[in-house]
Amino acid sequence: MNSVMVKSKDVTLLEILDRVLDKGVVISGDLVISVADVDLIYLGLKVLLSSVETMEKLRGAPFAGPMQEAN
Amino acid sequence: MEMAEERLVYLYCVLDKEPNLKEIEGSENGLYLVCHNGLYAVTGKVEHLEFGEEGLKKNMADFQWVKTKASMHERIIEQVMTGAPVIPFKFGTLFNTEGSLKTMLEQYGEEFKAILRKLANKQEWGLKIYCNSEKLKTSLSNDEAEILEIENEIKSSSVGKGYFLKKKKEELIEKTLNERINECGQESFELLKELSFEACINKLLPKQVTERKEDMVLNSAFLVSKDEVNNFLNMIDTLKMHYENNGLLMDCTGPWPPYNFCGLSGGKKQNE
Repeated sequence: MNSVMVKSKDVTLLEILDRVLDKGVVISGDLVISVADVDLIYLGLKVLLSSVETMEKLRGAPFAGPMQEAN
Repeated sequence: MEMAEERLVYLYCVLDKEPNLKEIEGSENGLYLVCHNGLYAVTGKVEHLEFGEEGLKKNMADFQWVKTKASMHERIIEQVMTGAPVIPFKFGTLFNTEGSLKTMLEQYGEEFKAILRKLANKQEWGLKIYCNSEKLKTSLSNDEAEILEIENEIKSSSVGKGYFLKKKKEELIEKTLNERINECGQESFELLKELSFEACINKLLPKQVTERKEDMVLNSAFLVSKDEVNNFLNMIDTLKMHYENNGLLMDCTGPWPPYNFCGLSGGKKQNE
């Protein structure tokens, strides 16, 4: 048996937000409401910038330093 | 046409096999399917007041709301994906009408079908590596020949020389620390990538977000064939055994909906 924790209810909220808010298929840019043919509302641009910025805003916590990019 | 809809169509995921929504728990909105050209969109009706532009802006500032809704989004997709591969959509993908959703399914239909074919019999797994710097430094001080050598030199040195040697030792530890972190991240990612169909590296999240005392040093995702999952998890165990005593902690989770591996082509990149 391996010891990897298979995802269950106790997966942290972080793991969920890191995916649900930041990943997943994004249809088409950032239209907000009613374009003639496809009246898709994708509320992406300002509201759901990225999970990090979102959470940062929610927590009111400033960034300590610049984000490091892996590789 | 009638007046604007009071309710919006919230899209969770798309698949090419009909899911049994009766088995899905956790949606207070009542799930229903929108079908078009052999694709099934799992959707729910949401209130304009809650998810319309104004409402959503307000609600996104409410951490409790985000937590509840994002968890529900995830839970619903997870349950659907137990039956067949799904394309998960980002939180807050909304349409005014079923008609507009169908138009989207028409427009992207072939691409969705191709993505679903790719996803068949595969799972997304995530690996985040965290570094406990103090622990890693301690292990370096005990293991690294070069550092031990300086340590010995310090013991037999005068106060003045000892001071400079100590400084040199600190610098060396810092440098070695970064090397070790990079090696660990690179090696882990490459080894797991070899066992995967696709792999990607995501941005690191700061401590304020992770709420851990260790720094995140790798945030990665893998699309793994179901046949390879055991090997993949065994490799994680091997990496854990190799690294965790030295303060490099492996946090592997899955299987996830394939959030990281459903990118649409044609310049419509995710997260852009």
